[in-house]
Amino acid sequence: MQDQLREAIAALERRDPGAAIPLLQDAARRDAGDGFAWLNLGLALSQTGRLAEAEGALCHAADALPDRAEPLVYGGQVAGMRGDAVAARTRFEAALARDPRQVLALAGLAALCEGEGDLAEAARLIEAARALDPDEPELHAWSARVAQRRGAPATALREAERSLAANPCSVEAAKAAARALLALKGEADATRHVAQAAARDPFSVAWPLVGAALRAMLGDLSGAIAELRAAEALAPDSADIQAELGLALAAAGQAAAAEAALRAALRQRPNDLALRNRLATLLWKAHRVSEATALLDATLAELGPDAVPLMNLALLRNLEGRQEEALATAEQAAALTGGSRDALVTRLCVLPYHPEGGAAALRDAAVAAAARYPQPVALAPRGMRDPDRRLRIGLLSGNLCCHPVGWLTIAGIEALPDSAFELAAYSLRQRADPISRRFRARCATWREMGAADEVAIAQAIADDGIDILIDLGGYGEGGCPAVVARRAAPVQVKWVGSQSATTGLAAMDWMLTDRWETPPGCEALYTERLLRLPDGYVCYAPPPNAPEVTRLPMLRNGHVTFGCFNNLAKVTRPVLAAWARILRAVPDARLVLRTHALGDAAIRDALRNRLHAAGIEPGRVALHGGVPHRELLAAYGEIDIALDPFPYAGGLTVCEALWMGVPVVSLFGDGFAARHGLSHLSNAGLGDWAAGEVDAYVRLAVGRAADAARLAVLRSGLRERVAASPLCDSARFGRSLGSVLRFAWKEHCSTQH
Amino acid sequence: MPRQDDGAPDTTGLTARLMQAAVSALEQRQPIEALPSLDRLRLLPGQSGIAAALRAEALLALGRSAEADGAAAEALEANPGDAARLELRARAHWACGRSLEALDMAAAAVIAAPQDIAALLLFAALLGEERRHEDAVSVLQDALRRRPGEPQVLLRLGIALTRAGRHDEAADVLGRCAAAAPQLPGLAVARAQAALARRDMAEAIAIARAGLDQAGGDAALYSVLAHALEAAGRRDEAWPAFRAASRLAPEDPYLAHLAAVADGIATERASAGYVESIFDGYADSFEASLIRLGYRVPGLVRRAVERHRPDGAPLGSVLDLGCGTGLVGVALHDLLGVALHDLLGASLVGVDLSRRMLDEARAKGIYTALLQQDLLAALEDGPGSFDLVCAADVFCYLGRLDAALALCARCLAADGLLIFSVERGQDGAAFQLHRQGRYAHAPDLVRADLAAAGLAPLEIREEALRLDFGRPVEGLFVVARHAG
Repeated sequence: MQDQLREAIAALERRDPGAAIPLLQDAARRDAGDGFAWLNLGLALSQTGRLAEAEGALCHAADALPDRAEPLVYGGQVAGMRGDAVAARTRFEAALARDPRQVLALAGLAALCEGEGDLAEAARLIEAARALDPDEPELHAWSARVAQRRGAPATALREAERSLAANPCSVEAAKAAARALLALKGEADATRHVAQAAARDPFSVAWPLVGAALRAMLGDLSGAIAELRAAEALAPDSADIQAELGLALAAAGQAAAAEAALRAALRQRPNDLALRNRLATLLWKAHRVSEATALLDATLAELGPDAVPLMNLALLRNLEGRQEEALATAEQAAALTGGSRDALVTRLCVLPYHPEGGAAALRDAAVAAAARYPQPVALAPRGMRDPDRRLRIGLLSGNLCCHPVGWLTIAGIEALPDSAFELAAYSLRQRADPISRRFRARCATWREMGAADEVAIAQAIADDGIDILIDLGGYGEGGCPAVVARRAAPVQVKWVGSQSATTGLAAMDWMLTDRWETPPGCEALYTERLLRLPDGYVCYAPPPNAPEVTRLPMLRNGHVTFGCFNNLAKVTRPVLAAWARILRAVPDARLVLRTHALGDAAIRDALRNRLHAAGIEPGRVALHGGVPHRELLAAYGEIDIALDPFPYAGGLTVCEALWMGVPVVSLFGDGFAARHGLSHLSNAGLGDWAAGEVDAYVRLAVGRAADAARLAVLRSGLRERVAASPLCDSARFGRSLGSVLRFAWKEHCSTQH
Repeated sequence: MPRQDDGAPDTTGLTARLMQAAVSALEQRQPIEALPSLDRLRLLPGQSGIAAALRAEALLALGRSAEADGAAAEALEANPGDAARLELRARAHWACGRSLEALDMAAAAVIAAPQDIAALLLFAALLGEERRHEDAVSVLQDALRRRPGEPQVLLRLGIALTRAGRHDEAADVLGRCAAAAPQLPGLAVARAQAALARRDMAEAIAIARAGLDQAGGDAALYSVLAHALEAAGRRDEAWPAFRAASRLAPEDPYLAHLAAVADGIATERASAGYVESIFDGYADSFEASLIRLGYRVPGLVRRAVERHRPDGAPLGSVLDLGCGTGLVGVALHDLLGVALHDLLGASLVGVDLSRRMLDEARAKGIYTALLQQDLLAALEDGPGSFDLVCAADVFCYLGRLDAALALCARCLAADGLLIFSVERGQDGAAFQLHRQGRYAHAPDLVRADLAAAGLAPLEIREEALRLDFGRPVEGLFVVARHAG
């Protein structure tokens, strides 16, 4: 029996907790080792990230070893990792009652105090710990950080250097040193100081780490990565450095290198929540949705509920087409944070995919999220209130590129009369593609604001004297609503870019829309005033290299092929129910779904189960992953009729289908996102392809599928028809956009004297 | 750093890791990320040469030319005959603006590795930079024999043929390139420029527009489109294209000035970069085009000197501001008293922004000094006291004249003459920037600025300076000396 325990401890000593766990579980069950089996089992489990089980084992150990402090110390640490501050404090205090010389318990309490902002008590506890363990470098680094936070940079620098002398790989100490140097010397001297120190001691890993921290603090991400790469070469086994490098590479968009570094760090630090979360978002951006979801599910199971992974998980589940779970997860994050801004925004981003509450529920959710944003502030004196002068128009977005925002706005923006409107772009993400170059060619001013915070962006817009700010990002990833909330420009307008509902922001004056999106009578669903364009609210820029429209595939296949190329978030339970009715009514029909998430085998399997549950024979449905844009357009060559999802209708997807000769059956609801299909179809003269309720949607699809001859004629002339319609008439759109912007400006001039 | 038992650095692993970090950063086109690793790699035994070479590559990619040149020199010193390092040094020279040294170095690289296409392409590009277009064509034809059908070589050859004025061959070669690699970067610009060079504006416009449809937006394509539209007389369409070009290449002074003209922005002068680039571009054909345009100012200068120096005394020292290819020097040089040149301290100093213009002037062998400088900077440096200061057709690149005239007065000997021309604007209109990118000056402003500078006009004549699209450009021709 003792041999088994010895063997387990040997495995722990050679850092192989996985091998120790079954031995220890066995020993603990037999109650061998007077409680030490439980203690070591708790340690081994926590080292492999199985925190919930670890906590249980350590509780057993604490009972079995009433004179020992260690089970309580480790139990406190595990509780802290799982976010349970109260349990952590109780256990650390109990540990110190058993043994007042427990350094780790003192450190644990100090961390809790620092987290709660009690810096004086944290400093006292760290000193007490250092008195017991004067050679531990992490305590010096920590002392440095607390000194810096208490406004004592000279002390902080001394402590940080002491820590680095003992452990040159300490990222924590390097950050403290950089922050202190910056406070003491300013940017130029701090940079010089680090460069000189590195030249004196070129093979010490400490100086590139301090340099990296300094570069990062100065907003120079590539400079930081450069230093970290050197640090990594000097100390290839440091988890600290791999973690830091992984986070920096991820921020710089170097996904493959970031993933490698984050995984290397996580091998040594499996319980690091921030690293796990960052890795999950990287996988997500690479369309590896089910891997990302699995990682976050495991993180939440092991480390306990935490708002950030919950919010990411909500958005990911939505993308998988698990809308109900997504909303429940978003609600959980909102409850956990007491309704934080980010959690309420996450909920708002998930809600348009839920038909239950309609636009009124979306408005209430938007107003609740908007209430968490800053109030407008006076930023600068405004330009002259001359109703007729040339106006400065600002564009705020991270998606001024080949993105739905770009495809649906660029042609109209290019056509906006230059003599009357000067344009300035506030780009939140650097992009270089054909559409982004078109934006650059049209904008007299171009500012990359990705590294700036919301205060600086709002100030830049005010300093440039922008008269009308057009928000092209909303609450989505490409937006920064806080800039609008601060009232960066005297007139602010919401346009494409997560434009799924009202923004709820008091400072958003207008919603750019049309009579189909917002018919008269729907004003109460919007906190903005409605600025209706005479035609549709967007102007589609067809891609220059689109493949030719093919002959109607039905004529070749002998059966109709329906298609939907929207993301799975839009493919809701009611959508599947409606499609099931259509497929029952047209027994030889087939359905093709194509979107990035379906490149993932696990997601394909899950969707097949949902199709089956909805009464759709999975064999009649082809599921395809994402392909490059031109191939996506070419794939419409196999589709006879596109089926629009609901309540979140297709936007760009509808325009692309029409451009490829494929008409779209759409169902409109009362919300903004629920009426995109109606707007684009009506604008192209195909308003009779949109229905107001599910029965009519099903009848439309079934009826149109029955008339191959009519479909073939429509298809062969559809591209020309769309090209000639207001949907693609950029000159006409430019004039209309100019006149409604002028109208909004005149309203401002006349009402605010 | 890790140490072995005897205390010596464990350099093998570290060398490999630092090298890997630097090379992968360069491969990922993140040159800045290579530098700290290279700072350390160079200190390890036997690594200084390769570290310097990699460092030069990184610095070139970052536009830090002077530092890159230093690193390239160090790399070449470590391995003097190596073709890749000769080529690297050539690129560094070129980045520093020393195209002649670059050319020599590229030639050495070609000799060291005659099969190296990259070296041949670099050599040809530098020959083009030195306006040796026929030589560039020969080199590229040689490269094409080594790599038949290689699109990049066809593209460069097409560009060189265009510049050499061999338009039919250029069209043929660029057509072959388009058939082999229709999306090759730079091809649309080269084809549009070739059409522009053979004065086929419709073709140039069509190619540029098609290229823009594909690329979305491109400064070079917009620029050639704008020039083609302008040359076709479609100015209202040209201005938005100039604006778009400048927005896509905000660092280009030439495009910035033309865009400012398009916007009607009243800048106070054309930027030095604009003047330098247009005249660098003109140098080959400058005199021919001025003669074609009926350019009369050098002759007017000579006649004015004859009028105001009736005794035929030697001219003494002359400062020729904006001397260009030296046409004023040619017009005056027999009045300088060549035989007395050295004895009397007589001199002819030319100032111009364009190196290529100055090369042409130098070839005439009549200037005692040629300064590549902005004229205001040259005047501020106090180049001495001159018997004649001449500014023929150069103040049209300045809006405000007050500072220039005050500085001219400072450089003028007690009884010296100042002679200059401006394009004539309307009285009361001060100075206006015209759509051709030049300024016109109102006669009343010229008089006021002369008086403010302590100068008195001996004559202010209305003269046609040259032809613009077949119509005379009305100007003022001014001769002045110190007042009182």
